[in-house]
Amino acid sequence: MLNGLNVEGSTPLHRMSVRTKLAILLVLGVALYFFSSLFVLVPAFVLAAGIYFTTGLTVRDGLSRLKPVLFTIVILLIATAYLASIREATEAFFRLMALVLFAGAVTATTTTGDFIDEITRLLQPLDRLGLVRAADVGLAFGLVLRFVPDIFNHYQAIREAHRARGLKVRPLTILAPLIILTLKDADTIAMAIDARGFRRPRSDRNR
Amino acid sequence: MTTRDLVLVALFTAIIVVLGLIPPITLGFIPVPITAQSMGVMLAGCIIGAKRGALAYVLFVLLVAAGLPVLSGGRGGLAIIQGPTGGFILGWIVATYVTGLIAERLVKDGQNEIRQFAAFFIASVVGGIVVLYAIGMPWVSMTTGAPLTDVATGSLAFIPGDLLKAAIAALAARAVLIGYPLLPHRA
Repeated sequence: MLNGLNVEGSTPLHRMSVRTKLAILLVLGVALYFFSSLFVLVPAFVLAAGIYFTTGLTVRDGLSRLKPVLFTIVILLIATAYLASIREATEAFFRLMALVLFAGAVTATTTTGDFIDEITRLLQPLDRLGLVRAADVGLAFGLVLRFVPDIFNHYQAIREAHRARGLKVRPLTILAPLIILTLKDADTIAMAIDARGFRRPRSDRNR
Repeated sequence: MTTRDLVLVALFTAIIVVLGLIPPITLGFIPVPITAQSMGVMLAGCIIGAKRGALAYVLFVLLVAAGLPVLSGGRGGLAIIQGPTGGFILGWIVATYVTGLIAERLVKDGQNEIRQFAAFFIASVVGGIVVLYAIGMPWVSMTTGAPLTDVATGSLAFIPGDLLKAAIAALAARAVLIGYPLLPHRA
């Protein structure tokens, strides 16, 4: 149900550390907004497209992933071309597409596990300050992946119950039972986690 | 944060993911189809409060960034965050926090039904609509170059649907408050 969007491979981007990839993406995301010349933006777009389609994604898969973002971008930029100028819309198109393609390439070359590990490592300084518990991120992540299928089953059961009584399936009558049914398990799950000692109490605080 | 709070945050994130799997509904009088997931901000703030609700969305945004297809329609990945509507995705965190803060202040035990509904509705409108658009619209304007006033005009098409969502979220939040109250136990 929840498969990551990464593809296996051994391209330079696959081997690059997650931190470097995210840092490049962040720098690019800020830097490209300082350029409005097409002499910079078009090459950036071509380069990003080149990287995106050499990550091991098939052309069909690569294009189908882009479709929803592309749709939004095109709609918004047609409006921009009409409201501002065609030139601005063209610049924004190449800038946005360069960023979207590079971001897509990072997603395609990073496994979910590696990404979470990196987030946990990036949180270590805050962990030492006692602001967050870095290990909680991984635990929470695991919980979400574990419970999505269960909650989806709850949803289907509630939907079937509606049908059995000849009721229309409406968000309003689905939401409350779905949320209560799910959240009332929180105590049991929390007890199970504590009983297994997954979250060791820290000696220096939380006493 | 207790383990129970952590579990509540994770479970709510999972609920938001499941809301994205439910097929969107179209209503005759509103141009945009309503996805159940877009009510998540209002529900999270009103049901588990400011801090836990915002954390549920931090976790959700991390799932998106990690490349899991958790957004409605099976979308996900860093590309969506980099796109023109990325501001709305990051804005969810702040919007949920504000919704939660208002709900925690306004909703009290022993109020009558209508006052509780009104309080949840106000929280949902201010947090889930006003704050969210205040973050999302400048992002659209900045990434596409469209003037902010025009983006705002264009966004008006979504407002009727959003108000309806706020009403549904407020009713659901009140039902959960009666059935399994979590809001008063603040994180």
